[in-house]
Amino acid sequence: MFKFIYNGIIRDINRSLLPIIVVTLGVFFTIFLSGWIQGVLFDMIEINANFTNGHVKVMTQAYAENESQIPNDLAIIGVEELMDSIEKDYPEMEWVSRIQFGGLLDVPDKNGETRAQGAAVAKAIDFSNEKEIERLNIRKALVKDNNSRLPKKSGEILISDDFAKRFHVNIRDEVSIIGSTMYGSMMFSNYIVCGTLRFGNQLLDKGAAIVDIADARRYLEMEDASSEIFGYFKEGEYNNENALKIKNTFTHKYTKDDDEYSPTMKTLTDDQNLGVYLSMTENMSAIMVSVLIFILSIVLWNTGLIGTMRRYSEFGVRLALGEQKKDIYKTLIYEAIIIGLIGSITGTVLGLIGVYVLQENGLDISGMMKNITMMMPTVFKAKLTPNLFYIGFIPGLLAMILGNALAGRAIFKRNTAKLFKELEV
Amino acid sequence: MIVETKHLIKKFPVGKSFFTALNDINIHIDKGEFLGLVGPSGSGKTTLLNIIGSLDVPTEGNAHVLGKSIKDLSAKESAILRNRHIGFIFQTYNLFPVYSVYENVEFALLLQKKTASERKTAVMQALEWVGLTDKAKARPNAISGGECQRVAIARAMVKNPELVIADEPTANLDKANSFHILDTMKKLNKELSTTFIFATHDEKVMKFLDRIIYLEDGKVINDETIKTESL
Repeated sequence: MFKFIYNGIIRDINRSLLPIIVVTLGVFFTIFLSGWIQGVLFDMIEINANFTNGHVKVMTQAYAENESQIPNDLAIIGVEELMDSIEKDYPEMEWVSRIQFGGLLDVPDKNGETRAQGAAVAKAIDFSNEKEIERLNIRKALVKDNNSRLPKKSGEILISDDFAKRFHVNIRDEVSIIGSTMYGSMMFSNYIVCGTLRFGNQLLDKGAAIVDIADARRYLEMEDASSEIFGYFKEGEYNNENALKIKNTFTHKYTKDDDEYSPTMKTLTDDQNLGVYLSMTENMSAIMVSVLIFILSIVLWNTGLIGTMRRYSEFGVRLALGEQKKDIYKTLIYEAIIIGLIGSITGTVLGLIGVYVLQENGLDISGMMKNITMMMPTVFKAKLTPNLFYIGFIPGLLAMILGNALAGRAIFKRNTAKLFKELEV
Repeated sequence: MIVETKHLIKKFPVGKSFFTALNDINIHIDKGEFLGLVGPSGSGKTTLLNIIGSLDVPTEGNAHVLGKSIKDLSAKESAILRNRHIGFIFQTYNLFPVYSVYENVEFALLLQKKTASERKTAVMQALEWVGLTDKAKARPNAISGGECQRVAIARAMVKNPELVIADEPTANLDKANSFHILDTMKKLNKELSTTFIFATHDEKVMKFLDRIIYLEDGKVINDETIKTESL
């Protein structure tokens, strides 16, 4: 009987082609969109992790409460000792300290008088740590046209290309940052611009400056202090379960309720938006699969109804020849399984190819992102994950079976007493 | 005895009343008969075929087919009776268009879950009876109307049924093909003692029948055994 069903599907294009196309397209879009949305959300999370949150982040409790104000007077003191300790406690993590500080970026003329000024949010990182440079995508963000390069020695600064253009700042020009030290006194630091940066994100490009952490510590009087310590999983990807375990043990060991300067830890998901994104990446496949099953089932139900009407005579003859209604219904389900499998396999292969191509090349939407202030990627890339290899089969098979099962119910309403009359036509 | 009806009545609801399609039919059909139900449209020929073929049940009275009480059969038992013991031939052939001649004939045996070798032997035998062994691989759209009806006969005969029911089997055929079809069925009737019951008003068919039951307004008005043309 299997051969009979299979031959029918293969030979009767009207029976199989449209459902196979529908299933293939459905599975393709399930996989492609899942892969793409997962990729975009994953990139958003990674960008946020790399620039602002880390996979986990250590701050003093007081700093954490006023984090948006970058209150360096509440920064962690005794960073070296704390870093040594957490490196031993959590060897699976890579720990880096950074300082963020705000101020005025002052551009002097050739006489040393202020020519232009603009607000800047500076980030101080360890330029000797190649992973930090990679993580913040600095090498790629360096503007090539003006021979930008990374700082090689103390006193060099990278500024945003927007700022440089707006205030006509060139490479090797001198700029100053005017701000306040950790202890509240005025800070005036001079730098030589060694490069300009264009991240492609307004939030990062507007008034951004990056300096070496050693310089920042000296100018901000933050020796052995740091705004934040970022922890990153050495395996690269954020793992919420492990991050929460680390947070719990860290809090238990280091956080003291009666000391607001004691360190506390936040995970990536403690940021409300990122928590939603992360939850979306985890549930995206399920959402896509559910939506596709619903839509495909309706389409395939209708396709099945048309097919059942077209094969009205065939089913009549089969009933007359002594095939039972439930057996005809079963063959419709077997047909659905075969068609569902053919469509699912084809759709999965096409979907995976699509995801792979988009993973490797991405879709550059930087032109549309000029006024976007969210931390999100400007190149939308897909992400090929193991679940994409099987999630297509769920809507492909299930929707096809559901569609045929609904359409096939008409068999049970067939009146055998009318077969001779019906088959005269 | 192959078929016996006793005071068989079949009524169909029409609005609030009933239309009596068969009214007190009492007939006996023995093994090996080549019999026709003849009468004008609406006389009850097809209704009687439906009941004999276990596709429908009587309203009153009963029909016994191959010893089974049609009135008492469940849907499953009716299907089994049709599957194993009754062959059907339709006016418009009703072959499966996407399957070959061989596969069309084989289908009845697939339902009986016969092995591949049993099926092959039986199908080739049936195609030989109807003279279509050379067309086994052809699709229905590649053969003539007469050949299609011969395939339908092979499909009905392949399971060696005791009874074959044919509703206007020559209605769509020309004279030559009609003769060929009836000749084939008559030979099978003689060789295998298979009982054939036709519903027809085709003069060509009537010439081949051994017995004609005339129906009019749901009643048997005449039942005669006749001398048929020699083959």
